[in-house]
Amino acid sequence: MGSAESGGCAVTASGFQSLEEVIADQHFPEVDLALRRGRHVGRDDGTAYDYLVDALDRLEPFYRRFGCELVQRADGYFYLLPSGDRLGRRQLSAGEMLVGQTLALMYLDPATLQHGGMVRREVLLHRLSGLLGTETLVRTLNPRQRKFDERVAAERVRSKVAEALRRLADLGFIDVVDEEMLRLRPALMRFAEPVRDLSEPQAALERLVKSGEIVLGDGDEEDARQDANGTEDEDEEEMGV
Amino acid sequence: MPSDSSRLIAALARDRINLDLKTLDLCFLAGLYLRADRAALASFEEDVLIDMFEQICDVVDPGAERPRKRATHAIQRLRDQRMLARVDGAGIVRSGEYTLTRLAAAVVEYFLADEALTRESLTLLTGTLRAQLAEILAAARRADTEDSWRERVVAPLRVTVGDLVGGIERRQRGLDSQQEEVQAEIANLLQADWFGAVARCQSLLDTTTDTLRELNEVLLRDTHHFVALLQEIQALASDAEQAESDEAVQRVIEHVDRIAAWGGARQRAWSDYYQYVHRYLRDVVRLDPDRALSQRLRDQVASWPSARFHLLVAAAPSIRLLRPLESRVERPPVARPRTDREAPPDLVDPENAGLAIENLVAQALAAGAESLAEVTERVLPKFPPHQHYVMTGRVADVLARVTRMRSTYERSWRPVEPNLELEDWDLPRAGDAR
Repeated sequence: MGSAESGGCAVTASGFQSLEEVIADQHFPEVDLALRRGRHVGRDDGTAYDYLVDALDRLEPFYRRFGCELVQRADGYFYLLPSGDRLGRRQLSAGEMLVGQTLALMYLDPATLQHGGMVRREVLLHRLSGLLGTETLVRTLNPRQRKFDERVAAERVRSKVAEALRRLADLGFIDVVDEEMLRLRPALMRFAEPVRDLSEPQAALERLVKSGEIVLGDGDEEDARQDANGTEDEDEEEMGV
Repeated sequence: MPSDSSRLIAALARDRINLDLKTLDLCFLAGLYLRADRAALASFEEDVLIDMFEQICDVVDPGAERPRKRATHAIQRLRDQRMLARVDGAGIVRSGEYTLTRLAAAVVEYFLADEALTRESLTLLTGTLRAQLAEILAAARRADTEDSWRERVVAPLRVTVGDLVGGIERRQRGLDSQQEEVQAEIANLLQADWFGAVARCQSLLDTTTDTLRELNEVLLRDTHHFVALLQEIQALASDAEQAESDEAVQRVIEHVDRIAAWGGARQRAWSDYYQYVHRYLRDVVRLDPDRALSQRLRDQVASWPSARFHLLVAAAPSIRLLRPLESRVERPPVARPRTDREAPPDLVDPENAGLAIENLVAQALAAGAESLAEVTERVLPKFPPHQHYVMTGRVADVLARVTRMRSTYERSWRPVEPNLELEDWDLPRAGDAR
């Protein structure tokens, strides 16, 4: 799924004559590292995005040799999608997925438009609990907990959401403006891919699995890995487990 | 915060300044303001106030009982809050005459006046401002006395120019709030009509963009002229050593800079917003004319816990930088050099100032000193300057022990040295000593 398949994206003649020129460009090291770390480079990234537009024709075959696709989306962003084992990849955790989908929903909401794509964390939390219900939200974000104290559970949800936001910001889905405000970026539309066209959601999911965009399942591995990193295990006893 | 501002704010807090205006009060004030404006009234008789209040009551609260009594309370409430001022000074001799205060006028103007910046109003204001500055420059060239500088340069700069620049700023704030309204309107239009609102949204965006661009052009061109004129006035003031004029010009220059900066900042901010909305209209609204995507995504989020999928992203680890190889070295144990921490005490001269003071005080008394100050003046020169303060206390102590003091109820302060004063005691005459 490269630029040829992305449909609707502008066809631009490459501004670079050779791969050597592309690599010699001052943007290459930073953009290359960002893409390999999973970052979505969008129009908001300014010259880095322009560089990718110009260098796309040369970079696509370059990254294909590493077993991954440089994908350009019509919404105005690029990302690297590993299809083999040559480049590391990871699946987003449950927290990242829930927060990402909710932010995508907010991105589509005209109310967000009034503030130029800025939303408050508090509004996000309200929206999350409104969409899923508090109990489902708590259980989805803490699948291994059986008993919940309301105060501790709320605290834990906030902490999981904050962690998810930090990771989504690293991946270029959002910008963290300050402690309160988030700026939504077009890359969030990746979370809406399964429902973007009018086909059956299940068929769309299968198509995305086939193209290596998503994996189906619980994603316990990623959550376990994140928990093992020691971000949130400190209050296990307090949770009464 | 500068100390002046802090003092002013502290004074406001001390006076417990507050405003409590109900809708009826505001409508009453607005009615009075409009009446004064149409009939060119400078003040209102009490009957007119009550009559106006009753009319407002009919509109705002038709079923209200005893409107005259309510009018009396409302007038008192507004007087307490410095919204209405009695101007006749007749006290209880006859019914009063009232006028709206500056505060009331400002509040009403905020709600009534449509003072957004337009190309016409800005061009008019900047034209007047330029003519005024040219006049002040001519006056500055002719000014030859302190008074003429003050009357023909400082005063017009502070009042006329200040008002004109303030007028532009006020209208800029008006345009700011108009922009916020446009942003809210675009959101509401899309919320209500989605795809059908695209053309209207585009037109709103374009209109505001054009307005901002025009205003910024006028501001860029005219503020350049203002600053040139002001700098010329400032140079003349500086040559004539007129610090007050210099300061007044500087203040206006800063004000003008602020106005110019507003234009650029708003245009940049609007440009970001414009691009964002434009992308939204193109990528979200036009591609999803039935607004079905939001609903499908909402369903997807709600059902995600039971039908999970996860996005995949690249996650290449950072490049590992190996440390340069070095052979194993024997590191010496951490230790601290031993030192002898028992230092011998310093030898200092014994302090026998106490004994010396008693002798010196006795000598001063014998020499005829008649007050504490006189004794102190005689004793202090015998000691190094850094001990004078301490010695002054000791002299008083010794004197209190060897003689009986006399003191008036208000003891007078007397200098004994350029930087030292004490409350004086009189000493008894000869033969009174203990």
